Amino acid sequence: MSTASPASVERGASLRLGLPGFAAALLRALIPIAIALVVGAILLAVTGWDPISVYRLMAQEAFGDWAAWQGTLAAATPLLFCGLATAIAFRAGAFNVGVDGSFVLGGLAAAWLGAELTGLSGWLLIPLCMIAAAIVGGLWSLPAALLRTRLGVDEVVSTLMLNYVAIGLASWIVNSLLLANGSANSASDPIAPQAQLPTIGSQATMTIGLVIALVAIVLFALWSTRSSSGFELRLAGLNPRFAEATGIDVLKVLGGAMVVSGLVGGLGGGVHALGVVHRFVDGFSPGYGFTGIAVALLARNGAWGLIPAAVLFGALASAGATVQLISAIPLDIVDVLQGTITILAAAQLVGLWRRRKAAA
Amino acid sequence: MNQILSSAALAATPLILAAMGGLINRRGGIVNIALEGKMLLGAVFAVLVSASTGSWVLGMVAAGVAGLVGGAVFTFCVTRLGANEILAGLGFNTLAAGLIGYALKDRGTYDPSGISVPPQLHLPLIADIPVLGPIVSDKDPVTYLTWLLVPLLAWALVRTRAGLRLRAAGASQDVAHALGLRGLAIRDASTLVAGLLAGLGGGQLALALVGLFNTGMVAGRGFIAMAAFYFGRARPLPTAIGCALFALFDAIQIRLQQDGVPTQLVSTIPYLVVVGVLAFAALSARRPAKEATA
Repeated sequence: MSTASPASVERGASLRLGLPGFAAALLRALIPIAIALVVGAILLAVTGWDPISVYRLMAQEAFGDWAAWQGTLAAATPLLFCGLATAIAFRAGAFNVGVDGSFVLGGLAAAWLGAELTGLSGWLLIPLCMIAAAIVGGLWSLPAALLRTRLGVDEVVSTLMLNYVAIGLASWIVNSLLLANGSANSASDPIAPQAQLPTIGSQATMTIGLVIALVAIVLFALWSTRSSSGFELRLAGLNPRFAEATGIDVLKVLGGAMVVSGLVGGLGGGVHALGVVHRFVDGFSPGYGFTGIAVALLARNGAWGLIPAAVLFGALASAGATVQLISAIPLDIVDVLQGTITILAAAQLVGLWRRRKAAA
Repeated sequence: MNQILSSAALAATPLILAAMGGLINRRGGIVNIALEGKMLLGAVFAVLVSASTGSWVLGMVAAGVAGLVGGAVFTFCVTRLGANEILAGLGFNTLAAGLIGYALKDRGTYDPSGISVPPQLHLPLIADIPVLGPIVSDKDPVTYLTWLLVPLLAWALVRTRAGLRLRAAGASQDVAHALGLRGLAIRDASTLVAGLLAGLGGGQLALALVGLFNTGMVAGRGFIAMAAFYFGRARPLPTAIGCALFALFDAIQIRLQQDGVPTQLVSTIPYLVVVGVLAFAALSARRPAKEATA
C-alpha cells in the first residue's frame, strides 16, 4: 500500500505550463494563497467582520514596520527548519510527517543541556546544545526510516504515530525528571544565560536562529543542485524505478533522507528552545511540523521557495495572534487559511486548467 | 477488569466506524487521512443538533451528514483537482479544526444544555456471562449497529456487485474504465461513505462516550482508524479487531493512570502499539521492501 510520492508535487511544473520554472512555481504558489484569502474573506464576512479591514490590519501587524517584520521573521524561523526538514524527505519520496516529533525532542535535548552545563561558556555551550538537538532529532526518525526501508512499513502512519509518542515522552521527561524547582506547570529549568541565542534585532525573539535556518537552506540549495548525492535524492523521489535502474540504492537514499530530515527538525527544536522559549515546556510545538508540511508544499520542495512560504505562514501566525488580541477574531482563522492553502497547494490547479483548455 | 472490557468495547465503536469508512475508501484506491477532521465535524454537529432538538438520533444523523459533506469536499479535491490525498487530507484536518475553533470562538469545551445521549441497552442473562457479558451488554444502539456493519461489509465487499466494482476501481482505474465503470465516480462514492461513517464515529464519540464536545476530543482517533485498516490490510474483520485492540490498550492506559503510573508515558502506549503492530504485520507478510518502492 504505497501512496503517490510526495516528490510528485514538483514534477513538471515548468513543462506543463510552458513558462520559465520560476514563474510557473510562483503562479502555482500564488493561486492557492489567493483562493484561501477569498475563503477566509467569505468566512469573516459571514461572521460579521469586514474582511478588507481585517486583512489590512493583519498585513500591518505582519509587515507594517521593522518591529512587525521582526515578529514575522521570528515566527517564520521554526517554520523554515520544519519546512526544510519536510522538503528533504519529500524530495526523496519519503512521506515523513514526523518532523514535529524530532522538533520537540530536539528542543528538549537542547533545553536540558542548556540548563545543565551552566559552567561552559556560550561559545561551547550553544554549539553543543545544537549538535545534541540535531542528533536526537535524527535518531528519532531512525526507527521509522528503518521500518520503511527494511520492512516496507508505510512511513506516513509510523511517523504520524511517533509524533504522539514523542510529545508524550517529552512531557513525561519534563514532568518527572526535569521539572523546574517550584514550578507546577510542566516546565524545565531555564537555560543558562550564556546558552540563550544572541538576538539580531530590537526584539528578543529574533535571534541568530534565523541566520542558522537561512544558512541551512542555502546549503540545501547548493547540495541539491551541485552534488551528485543531491541529484540522486531528487531522482529517487521523482522516479524510483528509473533511479534503481541507474544503480542508485533508492532505499538507502530514502532512509538517509528521513534521518537528515529528522536532524534538521531536531536542530529547529534546539534553536527554538535556546532562542525563544529558553526552557522546555509542555506544548513546546504548536504543530510547527505540520505547518512545515504546508511550507514545503508551497515551495514545491525547492530550497528558495521555502523562504517566502515560511515568511507567509510566520506572518499569519504573528499577525493572527495580535489580531485576536485587538479585535477578538479567533486565531483559528489562521488555521482556516493554512488548511485551505495546504489542500489547494496539494492540488494541480494550474495543470488542470490547462488540460481543460487543451481538451476544449 | 470487567470495567476495562466494558469501556474498551464502547471506545472501540468510533474507531471501528471510522476505520470501516477508511477501509472502503482504501479499497476504492484512496488513503483517507482526513478521517480525523471528519470525526471532529461529526462530533460538533452531533452535540449541536442533539442539544437543540433534544434527539440523539437527529444528532447522529447530523453527524453523518456533516461527515458526508466533509467527504464531498475532500473527494472533490482529490479526484477532480488531482490533489495528493495525504497532503490534502492533512490540510483538511487543519481546516476542519480551524473552522470549528473559529465558530466556537475559542478552542475548548462546548457543552450546551439539553444534550440527548443514546441509551445504554441492558441485555438480561447475557450481562451475567463472565467476560462476554460486560463486553456485549449495556451498550448504545450505535455500537450494536456498528457490530452488525462489520460482517455485513465483509460480505458486501466480496459478494455484491458494488463491492466488486469498488475493488476493481481501487485496483486499477484503467481496468475499471475498460470494464465500462466510472472509476472516478466510484472513488467519489467510497470517499463519501468514508466521510459518512467517520462523521457517525465522531457523533458516537461525542454523544455516547463523552457527552459533550471538546476541540481536542478526537485526539488522533482518525489516525488510529487509519492505522487499523493498514493493520487489517483493508479487510473488515481484522481491521475491527485492530480497533478493538487499540481501544483495549486505551482503556488499560486510562486505568493505569488512575493507579498512579505516569500519565504522559502511558498515553503513548496505544501509538507505540500501532507502530509495533504495523512492524509485526510487515514482518509476518515479509514482502521484499523493494517491491513497495516501485
